[in-house]
Amino acid sequence: MPAERAGYTVHMFVVDVSKSMGEPRTIHLPPDPNGEQSTKTITNLEWALQYVKLKIQGLIYDARKTDKCGVIIFGAEETRNIVNSKHGGYDNVVEYIPIATPNAGTIAKLDKLKPSTVYGDPVDGLIVATETQAQELKSKPTWTRKITLLTDGQNIIELEEWEATAGKLSALKVSLAVIGVDFDSDDPEYEYQEPNKSNVKLQNEKFWHDFVEKVDDAHIGTLGRAMVDVSEPTTKETKSTLSATVLRLGDVDTRADEAIELLVKTAKCTAVARPKSFKKFGVRMKEGTKDQEEVTINADGTRNITYAQLKTRTDYVLNQEGDEDEDEGEDGEKPKSPVKKEEVDADGDVNMEEEEEGEKDRRVTKEDLLRGFRYGTAYVPCPPDGQFPRLPTKKGIDILGFFDAKKFRRELSMGEVYYVWGDDKSPQQQCAISSIVQAMTRKEVMAIARWVNKDDSDAKMGVLTPIQFDNVDCLLWSQMPFADDVRKYNFASLENLVSKKGEVLAEHPYLPTNEQCKAMENFVEAMDLMKAEKDPETGKYELEWFSTQESYSPALHRVKQAMFHCAVVNDLATNPLDPPHPLLLRYFNPPKKVLKRSRDALEDCITKFKVKEVVRQPKRARKQEHVHAANDEDEELLLDRKPSTSITQEASVQQVRNAQEPSKDGDGSETEAESDGEDLLLDKAPPPKKPFNPLPTPGRSVSPRTHSRSQSDLQDSSIDPQRDPGRVIGRTNPLEDFKKTVASTAVYIKAVQDMGDVITEIVVAPFASRRTAELKECLKEMRRTALGEDEIETWNRFLKDLKDKCLNSRPGNKEFWSEVQGMGQKGGLITSSEAKKFGGSSDVSEDVALEFLN
Amino acid sequence: MAPYDDWNRVEDEDDEELQDASSFEAKKDVILFCIDCCPSMLELREDPDDEDAPKKCHLYAALDAAMQIQKKKIITGPNDSAGILLYNTTKSSENKKGQGSEIKPNLYLYQPIGPLDVAKIQDIRALLDAAKEDPEELRRMFPPLEDKRVPMGDVFTSCNWVIRDGAPKTASKRVFLISNQDQPHLTNSQQLITSARTTLTDLMQAGVTVEPFFINAEEEQFDLNKFYSHVLMQNAFAEDEDEEKDPSVLPESISIARIGDLLSQMRFHEVPKRAQFSIPFELGAGLTIGVKGYGLVTEQKKGGYKYFTDLGDRIEAVVSKTVYLDQELEGEMDRSNVFYGMSVGSQEEKTEDITGSVRPVLAGQRPFYTADEVRSFRTLGLEPGIKLLGFKDRSTLAFEDNVKHSLFIYPDELSYSGSKRTFTALLKTLIKQDKIALVLALTRRNSSPLFCALLPQEEKADDAGWMEPSGFHLITLPFADDIRAATVQEGYRAPTSLEEAAYAWITKLSLKGSGYQPDSYPNPALAYHNAQLEASAFQEEFDEEDFEDLTEPNVDMIHKRAGKLMKDWKLALLDDESSNMVSVVSAGSKRKADVSVDETEIRSRHEAGTLAKYTNEQLKAFLKSKGLSVSGKKADLLARIGDWLDDH
Repeated sequence: MPAERAGYTVHMFVVDVSKSMGEPRTIHLPPDPNGEQSTKTITNLEWALQYVKLKIQGLIYDARKTDKCGVIIFGAEETRNIVNSKHGGYDNVVEYIPIATPNAGTIAKLDKLKPSTVYGDPVDGLIVATETQAQELKSKPTWTRKITLLTDGQNIIELEEWEATAGKLSALKVSLAVIGVDFDSDDPEYEYQEPNKSNVKLQNEKFWHDFVEKVDDAHIGTLGRAMVDVSEPTTKETKSTLSATVLRLGDVDTRADEAIELLVKTAKCTAVARPKSFKKFGVRMKEGTKDQEEVTINADGTRNITYAQLKTRTDYVLNQEGDEDEDEGEDGEKPKSPVKKEEVDADGDVNMEEEEEGEKDRRVTKEDLLRGFRYGTAYVPCPPDGQFPRLPTKKGIDILGFFDAKKFRRELSMGEVYYVWGDDKSPQQQCAISSIVQAMTRKEVMAIARWVNKDDSDAKMGVLTPIQFDNVDCLLWSQMPFADDVRKYNFASLENLVSKKGEVLAEHPYLPTNEQCKAMENFVEAMDLMKAEKDPETGKYELEWFSTQESYSPALHRVKQAMFHCAVVNDLATNPLDPPHPLLLRYFNPPKKVLKRSRDALEDCITKFKVKEVVRQPKRARKQEHVHAANDEDEELLLDRKPSTSITQEASVQQVRNAQEPSKDGDGSETEAESDGEDLLLDKAPPPKKPFNPLPTPGRSVSPRTHSRSQSDLQDSSIDPQRDPGRVIGRTNPLEDFKKTVASTAVYIKAVQDMGDVITEIVVAPFASRRTAELKECLKEMRRTALGEDEIETWNRFLKDLKDKCLNSRPGNKEFWSEVQGMGQKGGLITSSEAKKFGGSSDVSEDVALEFLN
Repeated sequence: MAPYDDWNRVEDEDDEELQDASSFEAKKDVILFCIDCCPSMLELREDPDDEDAPKKCHLYAALDAAMQIQKKKIITGPNDSAGILLYNTTKSSENKKGQGSEIKPNLYLYQPIGPLDVAKIQDIRALLDAAKEDPEELRRMFPPLEDKRVPMGDVFTSCNWVIRDGAPKTASKRVFLISNQDQPHLTNSQQLITSARTTLTDLMQAGVTVEPFFINAEEEQFDLNKFYSHVLMQNAFAEDEDEEKDPSVLPESISIARIGDLLSQMRFHEVPKRAQFSIPFELGAGLTIGVKGYGLVTEQKKGGYKYFTDLGDRIEAVVSKTVYLDQELEGEMDRSNVFYGMSVGSQEEKTEDITGSVRPVLAGQRPFYTADEVRSFRTLGLEPGIKLLGFKDRSTLAFEDNVKHSLFIYPDELSYSGSKRTFTALLKTLIKQDKIALVLALTRRNSSPLFCALLPQEEKADDAGWMEPSGFHLITLPFADDIRAATVQEGYRAPTSLEEAAYAWITKLSLKGSGYQPDSYPNPALAYHNAQLEASAFQEEFDEEDFEDLTEPNVDMIHKRAGKLMKDWKLALLDDESSNMVSVVSAGSKRKADVSVDETEIRSRHEAGTLAKYTNEQLKAFLKSKGLSVSGKKADLLARIGDWLDDH
């Protein structure tokens, strides 16, 4: 981590708005939910501004008051800047956004920039930016100065005395970045050469390279590359604040001569960084209505709707239906008890709905509330300050004793870790802690300690472990559980199985055999990560793969990226969010090399362990009352798969299926091949009481079979209802599954085999003709992979089998086979000469292959 | 006891990360204590641990345990219910209506199932107090059935009826069966066994689990094979009803313990075992097993207060509900129409046409995300599951790589057959090779992917008769974003002589036992709070003198063992050159006049009563050096220093 001080920075952006910046360019948009690639035309200026906006968003996100920025534009129609007002000259340069801490208004203002009809001199812009910045920082010499210049290099540059400007930048210790639109780049990671580059631009690019040479701290790059960099995840550096406390051992009050009391400073060592929360918005409705959007008509006749930020209000509601409600509360839908309906009916039926609403939501004003604790059915009034008197405690960390570090149970560690140093202002105290740390290290012990944050606050238990850094010795603290915090659940022994005769079993399907254990051992060895990362210096694989220091929180950075994105675009449908930065997904899959290395061991495990996904057999309806009970037990469904709930569970799967299929192939008839008696029976099962609710209840995640439709279009929805257990390819989207499997893992044989099986199954199933085109694509892809990854044998075997199934089985699919014949070599057997080209082998000659297709 | 705002948390899309096991425990738990009253249960016996104690019968111990469990649950789960059913007694139910009206003969419903309640606990307490006075009291209250026994089938049927009448449908329902009879019938008839088996099946089908607590006699071991194995084996009465369908294997939870351990055995079962998630664990492409996750370590917090309203005749709890409002127009917004985005900024320039909190867009455009989109940002489109990344040495799992409590992973044979053998093979291998697994885990649909270490746990019995289960601990690793750099980079280091002196007392103070034992440290703040709550509910005085904080250090022992050595070390420290060193002023801070004051000097002035001669700066510098507060006026500072000097 760089030692640069966070904040205390003025960042100037110098943006070229000359006429040439209005030139259009085509950029590729990330695929939309249907996987459609699309492009969009924007101006170079818009592209450059996107970079500036992302940079400024970063500043807004970190929310440091001392991170300021300003925007200077050159090539503007008018002139307005401090150098001009003092000395004249410096035309077409405008101080567009004065230096300030940025906010969303800054972004909005940038959006208004349009290319001008004139040209401006970038060096003028640079000088104005330097002056404006210097003015601002006159009395703050320690602040960091940054200037970023964005230009397309099509301007005429006054080449006089540019060395003086460069010297000035160095003298002021400005860190300069020159970012050019379509500048050439020989960066090995981003090579770029602009075709048909104009002479002016060629000259200017050369000039900027010379310029950057002359400035102490400067670099130059092309905008495309910079856009990649700017979306790279960065961690917000936080230095933990030190808090003072004392470390005690013994009785400091009455036996002070012996007791130890040391002044220490503590600070956080780990602290979970959470993404900022999104603000909530809603479409503003016409006053007094609930469903009519408020619309304003613009001057040009377009219509505007308004999104208003929402605030929350907490209502206190008296629960009329007793505590039954509490179980339902989670999804906000209260059951309507029959009793109440009666009441309402008796009142007269007109406004039944509203009556109920009123009954249900009897709001209580906050002033009328009492505070108290529940004690079973009783109410225990709460003392006025919200809690009972606290147990008196004394601030500090008390050591209770030491124990063998080998006895430390890592899994009990409960929370964030803290550093404990000797007082940073007192060498004596540092020395004292150091002696303890050294002694504990030598003796290999940890300390049990009780931590009280301030007088009379609740005590925590934990352990202190010694740690020696390069230049300082200190302790680390981690909180450990109290007796109350530990759950003791019974679990059946995994290895010690007792038969009903009371004998210990040596063989049982639950117990792995020696052979299986051996297979697992091989797998574990093959998947070892200790030497899986290439050492950049030696080029050998001898470094550990994965380090916490380099693992960015995917959720945090993805949310951040999404927040930036929605703040800079006006419509998400036409400007979808870019995919996550590759760095975020860096550790999402085992390293390729390891996968390859473990391929055989994994295959062996798959064959030996024979794990099968259990397809739940729906229980036939028992008695009516049970079915009814099942409906009430939505919550149970989430966690324990009780037999009594499996009906609802399966039913909702069915529902999802029904909802998905039509969108895919018109009438959903594809599923017919799948449907057996069980499924038909399910259709008649009572539907779940509640409509399918996309709101995530925690437990819903439990069962992969009840995933909601909204999830199914996500990139990695790994659950395909049409995927058989043990297979990596499903019938719903075989091509995609196949590509994904091949890309993410190296288990080609499995992928090719499964693909073959799936294709064969689809071909002979009813309505296969609808998918002919898709299947042909599958065949092509499968053949390509088989050829490249030496699964030639598998392909040839599959193809022979397919031919046989198409022509000789009933009903077969002769039409499809003629389609395959039409594909020619692309759909034929792989011949020996073809295989040789790819380093493989085949026993099929050209003649045989030809014969096979006819 | 969840704080009043816990519910909002479940609904609030932003805070799922914070969500913990608490929401899973919102589910109600119903326990029916079903206690045998046969003559042997009522026989007075000596306390095996304390010969001087008055003789008590097993029924006394069982009722006492039932009361203790209720007292504990009334705080941790005020919505839970309990009841007590006695069998093999001639006492008959008087009430002819409502719960228990149709139970079989020779069973007595002492307490119908109902919400936990102070009055009910007081009832049992009064009964137990009376029994303490007169050991025959229980025999009078519940006369045992002398010459015959109630068939177990009748017992199970009655349990079923009682629970059907009294327990809410959605609750988890359990029967705690307490008996010392390994042969509950006087004759060994196949018919009785069959009927017990069938009725137990019925009970289980109604969603009720039976957890037996059998009392072991000193002289004769409780023999499961006499009767219960034939009944229970068939019915797999594990808490997870989906487990152990295999009849050849003994179910996991039959407690057979001495009478003295009855309560502690029940404590293990106090909270019903509940999985937090059940997800696939992918070891590699094509090899996926099922696992369930449990929270074995979760911070138990004091319950927060709730809001109530006085309805005149009774006090009722109110619940809080959050509604979304348009900031200006105050119109309520339906939850499903809420979109998510960035704040449009608050410090808008006046000239901008975007005002504070609204964003006008062209009709048909949408600059904000839907709830689903926001969720997909958090999950990165992953489905819940654990994915193996590879294996590392056990030693790579550092002490400081921790941010939250661990979870426990156990195989789930019912979602993938073969999970158990695969899981066990993996576990054995990792233990053997001293390895951990690195995994990517998304445990719930609304959480975020995390990198975790799987730490293998071997099965181990501890002294208290508790079996540490085998499985994996899922330990969440910090991300780069969660790791803070050390604030202090340099410090003075101790010379070897001083280290030797510290080594001496550390050796004396090293505990022989087995590391940190959570059981030795009940949370004092929580206990203090609960004791006051209980006293208040029972309208008793709370006596803080009676309260013992077991987490305080045993200072007497410390001084006795190592006092002398600690003193030696302190003297050595004073002799060390570091004691005379002036602290290095950290760079960047403004230079100030030297305000440092010497402790001995300040002490002598204090004794002379001339402390006030120091400037405020000097007083503050001293306070700061002692880690004390520097706020307040000069008088406050003087008082604070005075206090400190008096204390030390």
